[in-house]
Formats: sequence, C-alpha cells, structure tokens
Amino acid sequence: MNSSIPPWRATASAPSEMTTPVLPNTALTPAYIPVQARRSLAHPTQHHNTATQPAPTGYGYAQPPPPPPPTAAPESRSRTGFTPAVRRYVQRCFAPENQVSSVDSKEMQEKLRSVITAAAEDNRMHLIDWDRMILPQVMIQNERNKILANPDVSNWGSSGQFSTTTDASRKRKSTNVDKTDLPPWRQANQGNRTEDRSTYPSTEKRARMTTDDSSKSKANLEMRKKRFEGTVNSTTPTTPTTPAEPQPAIGPVIGRCETLEKNYFRLTAPPNPDTKWKQQGNYTYICDQFKSLRQDLVVQHIENDFTVNVYELHARIALEKGDLGEYNQCQTRLRRLYAQKLGGHPTEFKAYRILYFIYTRNWTAINDTLAEITAEDKKNAAVSHALEVRSALAMGNYHRFFQLYLDTPNMGAYLMDMFVDRERLSALAAMCKAYKLGLELRFITEELGFESDEQAARFILGNCPVEALEEKNGSVRLVTEKAANSIERGKAEAFRVVDIKGQI
Amino acid sequence: MSFLPDEFRTAYSNRSGPNLAALLTPIATPNDPDRLRSFHNFSNADYVKEDLGACLFKNKKPRVSHAEKNAWVDIFAAYWEAVGELLELDIPNLGVTPVTIFVAWKKVANALIRGYSASSGLPAWTLPCLYSVGKYLRIFAINADLHVASQESSALDFQEDVAADSEKNANLEEAARVINRMFTLAPIEESRKWGIYNTTNLLFKTYFKINSVGLTKNLIRAINAQSDDLPPLEAFPKSHIVTFKYYLGVIHFLDENYAEAEEHLTSAWRLCNRHAVKNQELILTYLIPCHLVTTHTLPSERLLSPFPRLERLFRPLSNCIRKGDLVGFDKAMSAGEEEFVKRRIYLPLERGRDIALRNLCRKVFVAGGFEEPKDGQAPVRRTRVPVAEFVAALRIGTHALGRVDTDVVECHLTNLIYKGLMKGYIARERGIVVLSKKNDAFPGTGV
Amino acid sequence: MSNTAPSQAKAESDQPQQQQKPQVLEEDDEFEDFPVEDWPQEEAEQASGAANGGNEHLWEESWDDDDAAEDFSKQLKEELKKVEASS
Repeated sequence: MNSSIPPWRATASAPSEMTTPVLPNTALTPAYIPVQARRSLAHPTQHHNTATQPAPTGYGYAQPPPPPPPTAAPESRSRTGFTPAVRRYVQRCFAPENQVSSVDSKEMQEKLRSVITAAAEDNRMHLIDWDRMILPQVMIQNERNKILANPDVSNWGSSGQFSTTTDASRKRKSTNVDKTDLPPWRQANQGNRTEDRSTYPSTEKRARMTTDDSSKSKANLEMRKKRFEGTVNSTTPTTPTTPAEPQPAIGPVIGRCETLEKNYFRLTAPPNPDTKWKQQGNYTYICDQFKSLRQDLVVQHIENDFTVNVYELHARIALEKGDLGEYNQCQTRLRRLYAQKLGGHPTEFKAYRILYFIYTRNWTAINDTLAEITAEDKKNAAVSHALEVRSALAMGNYHRFFQLYLDTPNMGAYLMDMFVDRERLSALAAMCKAYKLGLELRFITEELGFESDEQAARFILGNCPVEALEEKNGSVRLVTEKAANSIERGKAEAFRVVDIKGQI
Repeated sequence: MSFLPDEFRTAYSNRSGPNLAALLTPIATPNDPDRLRSFHNFSNADYVKEDLGACLFKNKKPRVSHAEKNAWVDIFAAYWEAVGELLELDIPNLGVTPVTIFVAWKKVANALIRGYSASSGLPAWTLPCLYSVGKYLRIFAINADLHVASQESSALDFQEDVAADSEKNANLEEAARVINRMFTLAPIEESRKWGIYNTTNLLFKTYFKINSVGLTKNLIRAINAQSDDLPPLEAFPKSHIVTFKYYLGVIHFLDENYAEAEEHLTSAWRLCNRHAVKNQELILTYLIPCHLVTTHTLPSERLLSPFPRLERLFRPLSNCIRKGDLVGFDKAMSAGEEEFVKRRIYLPLERGRDIALRNLCRKVFVAGGFEEPKDGQAPVRRTRVPVAEFVAALRIGTHALGRVDTDVVECHLTNLIYKGLMKGYIARERGIVVLSKKNDAFPGTGV
Repeated sequence: MSNTAPSQAKAESDQPQQQQKPQVLEEDDEFEDFPVEDWPQEEAEQASGAANGGNEHLWEESWDDDDAAEDFSKQLKEELKKVEASS
C-alpha cells in the first residue's frame, strides 16, 4: 500500500498535471486517523490556562501543544517587549513585496498573531530564528496546498507551522496562485461544462433566431452580469477569512475553502472541471474528510465557532456538488448550532434552507421556517430573496420567479438550479393553455430566464415533439397546441416527489 | 380514612370503566377534597402492597384471577407513590420536582400497560383507565419539560451546550413512547377497540406538541390497516370522533391536501358539541382556508359572528378578496402574517390572491359592457378585451403609481386561465384577451 | 383554559399546583378535551334534520355583485388614459 508514491503526492510535485486518478479508498485511510486532531480539538479552552499570554481574540480553540510539552518556565513571560528579531519578522510580514494576493491581510495578521502566541506559549521565542522564519502568508498557502497535495497532513495541522523555508517555497510554487489571480469568471471559462450551461450564443445563430435584440434581453444580460458581481461581493464575508480560523488546526479547511471560493462563480460560466477536488474521486475524499471531522466534533461534543465553520464549509461544498443529502445533514446540524449563537452565517443558511424546502416541496417545513423568520432576518437580502422566490412560486408568478432566479445571492443559485427546470415546465404548461395561438420563442426565452433562444429551444425540444417549434416570418414560435400535452407530462414527471438521500 | 378501596370495589362490581378511571387521577374531587392526602396516609412504603391487596379485594371481592389481583395492586401501589410525590411537591428540600412526578406517574402508566398484557389480562371495560392515565402522563411530561427548560435558562451562562430541540421535549417524547405502547395495546380484542380513537387522539396531541407531526402518519396507517375490524366511526362517542377528525383534517391540511382536509374538518364541525366554542373555533380556523382553496367560498357573517377572533382573522381578507382589492389583500396578509404563520394557514390563505385577482379581472369584463346588439338576439358581452385594460385595472387594484409591466399582467392572466378561473386565451401579438362567449368567461360567477 | 367549558376548566384547576402554570394549559391552539364523552345529535353543531340545509348560509360566493360597476368602469377609463399616456 505504501510501496509507491501515492497519487496525491504525485500531483503535488507536478502542479500542472491536473488529472488525479480516482483514489482507491484504501489509500485514503491513513488520511483520517484523527488521533492528533482529537487531541488538539478536545481542549477548546486550553489557551485560557496560559493566562499570562496575549490570548489571541476571535477564536475559541487552542493551539495544539507541541508533542512533548516543554516545562513551562514562568520567567520567560517577558513578552511585553518583543525582541528586535521578532520585530523584524513582523516588519517583513507587512512589507508590500511580501504580500501574497491569495491571502488577505486580515488572514495574514491572524496567522502572525497565532505564530507569535504559539511561540510564546511554548517558550520558544528565543529558540526561533525569526530572520529565517517563514512568513504567515506563506504558511497559509502551504496549508492550503497540503490539503490538495497530501492528505497525510490531516492530523490537522500541528505540523507545518514551523516547516522549513525551502519546503515552503517549493510548495508555494505548487499552488495555483496564478489562477486565483484571475477574476473568477475567467478561470471558470477555462472549463467546459455540461452543455446546457454553456454560454454559447454564437452570434450568428443568435442573429438567426432572434428578430430583435430587445431592451429586455439586454436587461437580462445586465442582470446576469450583476449576478456574478453580486456573487463576488456577497461571498466575500462567507469565505474563511473570518477571524475565527487563523489556526493551523484548520489549515486544511482553509485550503479547501480557497478552492471552493473559486468555484462559487460557476454561474458566470462553467467551473473548471480540472480543479482537482471537483472530480468525483476527490469530492468523495473531501466529503469523507469532512464527515470524519464532523464525526470527531460530534463524538467529542465540540460545539463552537470552529464547528460552525466546518459545517458551513461542508454544506457549501455539498451544495456545489449537488450532494443534497450531505447538504441537508449539515443544514440540520447548523440550525442547532446557530441556535446557540456560535457565529457563522445564519442568515445565509436560512436563505438556503428556504430554497431547499422549496426544492423538496416540504410545506410543513416551509411553514415552520416562515414561523421562525424574524423581522430582522427579512432585512437580509438573501433571506428576503428566498422568501420572494417562495411567494412568486406560490402565486405562479413565473415572471417574477425568473427575475429572482437571475439575481440570486450567495450560493442560492445552486439550489435554484435544482428546481428551475421544473418551474419552467410549470410555467410553460400554463402558457401553452393561455396562449393557444402560439408564442414567440423570444418571449419564452425572456420570461423563463433562458440564456438564449437556443437554450430555450433545446429545452422545449427536450420535452416536446419537434413540430412544437416552427419558423414563421423569420422568427421561431412555439406551437402551443402541439406542445401542451408533452409539457404537461413533463411537468407531472418533474413534480413527482423529490427523494433525497439523507433527508430526515 | 381513604374511600378509594371502597370506590374501587363499587366501580368494579358495576363494571364502570369511567368510575374506575376517575380513581387513578392525580386530582382531588369536590366531594372529597382531601382525597389524595387521605389515600396517601392509608399506608406506608413498606406495607402499601400488602395493604392494597387486603383492602381492594376485601372478602375476596371482587373475585378476580390471581394475576389480575397482582396487576391492580401494582397499579395502585405505583399510584400511591406518585400521589406521595405530588403531595410533597411544594415542600422544599425533598427533591420533588415536576420531573420526579413525571417519572413516578410513568410507573403508573407502565404498571397499567403490564396489566393489559396477555398474562394478567385486565378486562376490556377497564380501558378508560389507560386513557386517563395517559392523558395525565402527557400533562406531567409537558410540565417536566418546562421545569427543565426553566432550570436551564437560569444556568445558561455556564452551559456550553444549550439543550437542542429534541432535548427540550425529552420528557414529552418519553411520554409519547409510553402512550404509543398503549396504542399498540388498545386493539387487542374486540371491545378494547373502543379505546383506539381515544388513544390515537392522545398521541396526535402529543406529536403535535413535540412538533413531530410526521409521526402521526404511522398511526393513521395503522388505523387504516385495521379499519375493517373496527366498529363504524359513528358508533364511537362523539368526543372521540370529533377530535380524531379534527386532527386528521389538520394533518391533511398541513400536507396541502385541502380537499381531504375539508372533508374531515367538515365532519368534525358538524358533530362538534355546540357549547365547545374553543374547539369549534379551532375547526373553523382550518376549515375556512380549505373552503377558500377548494370551492373559493368565503365564510358568511353568520358563520363568523359567534367567533370574534375568527372575525378579526378572516373578515378583512374576505372583504378584499370579494372586492378584488389586491393592495388591501396584501395588507391584510401582512397584518395577519404572524398569526397566520403560527397557525399554519398562511399558505392556503395566500391563494386567496388569485380569487381577488379573478374578481378584479371580472370587473374589467363586466365594465366592458355588451357588443352592439344584432337584430333581435340577446345581448352578448364584449369578449375581446385589450390587455391594456387589465393593465389599467391592475394599476387600480395595486394602487400602482408607476408602470405596470404588461408581461407581469399577462403572467397573471395566464395563471387565471390555467387554473380555470378565467376562460379564454391571450392573443399576444394583437394585445387582446379573447374570452369565452358562452357566458362562462369567469366560470361559476354568473358571467 | 376555555371559559366556555366549565367542567373542563374546573378539572384543570383542581389539579396539583404545578399544573397551574399557564404556559402549556393556556396554549390556545390545542384541541380541548370535551367535558363529556358523548352528546345527542341535538347538541351537535349541525343538529339532525338540517342535513345540508344549515350549511348554505355559512359559506358565501367570493365575488361582489356589480352594484358599483359604473364607478369602476369610469375609474378604469381614466386609468386607461394614464396607461396609454405613459407608454
């Protein structure tokens, strides 16, 4: 089993090689022997014991102690004044030329603080060669890399913090910094995803199918654009740059999240399928990692901001992968964690919850959720969006629904994608009956949030016989009378009860 | 001096289930206000079983099997203990809390369940005991949970782990399990079937209270499965049926099966005792939204007038629906939102907006008047209505100041047509709506 | 609880003291136990004989009859002018 270099190592040394083979499970087992993780997480209040130390604020779990704890020498608490070496180190951290684009200054500072605190707590302030100590921003990058490169670090981090500079710089090269520097939609464009998502409009085709480029379709385009921008902004606070996680202990999680964040933007264009964890094998791996971590947390009754983070991250990844069973488990647990006010992003997830129940058509749960929502929640853009989605659907107001669809905050669009086709069929069924003389395809494209006439046409033909579309006076029309029955059948099919693994 | 043993023998010789059940209640009665205390003084912990054996079956009466005798002794011994706890609740430092009372009462319930199991075989006519003990078990469980919650909130600062949802109702959930065992006992033999709805109702209530409405599905399935062996519903006491029908209706209601919900709630309404105003009010709370959804009918003044709360809840909405006043409707919905949501009637009431919209469009149609009469024929309404008129009507109906998007209006019209509230079609390119000429453009409304 | 079911209210108030905490027993959406197990048809809401008759006055049609049609017609015409002007 250990005879050759494990595939994940191989990828680490060959960063441009993106296709990781699917990992056999046996090879993964070492990755989640969580002994050390347990130790470090099981003492969430440890840093309070070292009362003399400048306890970093903002997180409630401790530095993992170094393996054999050195005898705590009380005389070494001369920490009010840093040595010149430490000061130089801090200066280096802030030097503009040392900034790394993928690590923001807040993250860096948190990390810096934890490095110094840890050194002080371990009485190693004077043992460390601060002039050669790696910079916190580099540490963060290393940790991010490791998770992709080497599951063995899943002892969740006590290693790596004081790793050598050479190691660090080598690793650094293996990051995809160059990629994260690109705006997300560019990155995503490198990919080729499923057909229905492709942003084709080959202008030639569009010109043929579209008689006029109405102001409305421009407005739709504008909305789509806004959707991406909105995503960028609104996800920023949800990225793991919160002060809650400067810890090496969760370094691997930060790393994943970086990847995740990049993929938030799949709606602008397909995400890059080459991104490693997107592949099935890797998703399974990540998912397993999270599950084992979650299990540790449950077994040890750890419920703090870190726990919230883990569940939020896993929920987001599961959302993106369309793994709703897993997502729902996280969501259920998150609800309890939020009730304890442990931080995190309760409103963001409240909005997902509503959308999720819309998808599963769980009226009882929708009722319950409506009853829980406070006036304060309603001021939140994501929550009020989700509520509007609900009421638009309840009223059959497809016009409003698809406007909302094109303007979904955070990762809600992943959830809406799950039921948008169903709602298209529902709207089309009504349209077929109401517009019995037929309908321009252009109008359907606009009303039902399709990206182009071609996408609309493909959707219709996926559900109807080919004679449901006809060309007349230079424009394509839906022959509603011919489409009605098939659409109605498609609708009935799509509205059959959603069955999700893991749903309680 | 406790009357209980004598009362037991009397109830037993009369084979009166209700009288027997009255003995196993944790409350005093007007004619024996000291009932609990005197029963407790009747014996002590060391001798209670012996004493009960001697007094309940004095002179070998009533004559019962050895097993049954033991069962009653166990039941009343458990009851004696629970009574002791109850009496000590207000005395400080004895460690008696609502939780210990619940635990003690649970022993009574379990002793009773053992009594009905095959070997000891309590007779079926004593079944009301089971229901009565179960009813108080539920009440004690609720009190125990409240007590636990109040303890926790005062110690909250030290608690890292605040009680989760499930823990909040730990005692009531335990009670549900015990009552569920009663439920499985109930239909054992022919005459025991008479307890089935009573016990089911108790479980319904409990599941609603612990927010596990989903669990009621199993019960309903179980009842349906043995419905052939059960006496017809009408043969049961009305209190059993009305309660059962009410919960059945609400369960369907929550699943948005409004037609079925309406059916069950209607029978609950018809059979309900007319003095039980509170229960009538509850039935109507769900029946009114059902009617709105299924038959688009509204509650009359006569229906609402005895119930001021319902009047307040439904009158404004009904008026706006009738007038086609969309703004008023939305306002009434948000004014009542909290209560609607709390009572789980928001979603069906929301559908009333379609009816309001239909009424608004109907007004447009009526305002359109008639076509030029053709020689001698009956006048025909103008059935080709410009979409622009509906746009204008919506501006009126929504008090909109700015533009109302034609596409939005068409979307509304499309829905009305699809839902059968309006008959006709939209000719989009010509900007008109062509309505049915057969005097059914708005089916069921006379035009 | 309910002030309309006297015997019920009495039974509850006779319970041991901790029962008198209001939270649960006053919860207003719980179906109450009836004071009596059974009652004759005359005491049911829909007394016998009235089989369907009583129901008709309880539910009304959901639309208004058109006494104000004139007004609306006028209002509509005015609004229509505004719509046309604004488009």
